[in-house]
Amino acid sequence: MRPLDEAETKVVFDKLANYCSDLKSLIAPLDDGDRYVFRLNHSRVYYVRLSVANLATSIARDNLLSLGICLGKMTKTGKFRLHITALPILADNARYKIWVKDNGAMPFLYGSNICKAHVGRWSADCPEHQGVVVYNMNDVPLGFGVSARSTAEARRLDPTGIVCFRQADCGEYLRDEDALFASG
Amino acid sequence: MAPTRTIKNKHAANKSGIVNSKAAASKKPVGDGVIKSRNKDGKKKPIPGSNVKGRPSFTDLAKKKKKRVYTAKELGIPELNMITPVGVTKPKGKKKGKVFVDDRESMSTILAIVQAEKEGQIESKMIKARQMEEIREARKIEAEKKDQERQARLEETKDVLRKKRKRKSHDGKGQDEDDKIIKDAVATSSNATKVKGNKKGGKKRVSFAAED
Repeated sequence: MRPLDEAETKVVFDKLANYCSDLKSLIAPLDDGDRYVFRLNHSRVYYVRLSVANLATSIARDNLLSLGICLGKMTKTGKFRLHITALPILADNARYKIWVKDNGAMPFLYGSNICKAHVGRWSADCPEHQGVVVYNMNDVPLGFGVSARSTAEARRLDPTGIVCFRQADCGEYLRDEDALFASG
Repeated sequence: MAPTRTIKNKHAANKSGIVNSKAAASKKPVGDGVIKSRNKDGKKKPIPGSNVKGRPSFTDLAKKKKKRVYTAKELGIPELNMITPVGVTKPKGKKKGKVFVDDRESMSTILAIVQAEKEGQIESKMIKARQMEEIREARKIEAEKKDQERQARLEETKDVLRKKRKRKSHDGKGQDEDDKIIKDAVATSSNATKVKGNKKGGKKRVSFAAED
């Protein structure tokens, strides 16, 4: 387990900034003097309290399965992929949101994109190909994706047209149970 | 290169025609055409034409070349002549390995840069989208305007036709007159077809000459 280097930090922040409006709160000091840091173990990036990260140094890297919140995975080409486990962080300070109706929640949780007919409401002024967090109508985050159309264009779209490409959904906790936390 | 000299015509040296010549007197093996010069330590024969002023002689050049021999290390040339990838070369005086970002200051600096970049990108996207939207709106309005104009023209022509009809009806002819006009038109057209039919569509009659 090690801290991220400069390039890795930039890549991770860049990806998070697609979904979050305020990233400063992520690294802001906590009330008890502690703060959150980013740690890399087996190409997975964890968002963890510094005190916990320090404690975790006593565990061998091979034996350490997970700690804190797993944000995602660094690919071998140096890119960063967000996992569904990062959803609580993204949902807390999401820049753009989409609320899906109850009839659209299950299709989304089964891994399909969101069509216009399933959208209950969406953030205004959302540009095209921008990260959005998906909620149900009770404001429970279900996953995240990328907007297929800008809000203005989506208004003119027919009901079967796709408005959001799925990136991750809560159904992955069941579908990808084996691969979600297994390292390697 | 070793300073060896060859004489192309080996007979030319011996058959100089002079019996007591230097070539004849020298005790060199005759059969071998190759003569190794002893210029290394002995006196060197001046090469004809080497004494020309302004032209550096061969010996001078040799001397000059021998002056300084640089080793590969001095020149900074890699020992093996192979391509070194950029990532492999390590700059001198720098920290070995990765530079971790763990302190809040450097992290917030990177964060600020990234966020500013992202904001810019989103802003430009929004501006572009707005411009496209404006263009689309303008086109839509233009199309609507054209459509309205066309509709108005159509209505106008319709009105003109209606007025014409009304005027005729006001003259006292009334509906019967209209019917008559229509009938006439139909009749003329049918006549036309009839005439056409008589001309072309009539049955051809063939008569045979009576046999005697």
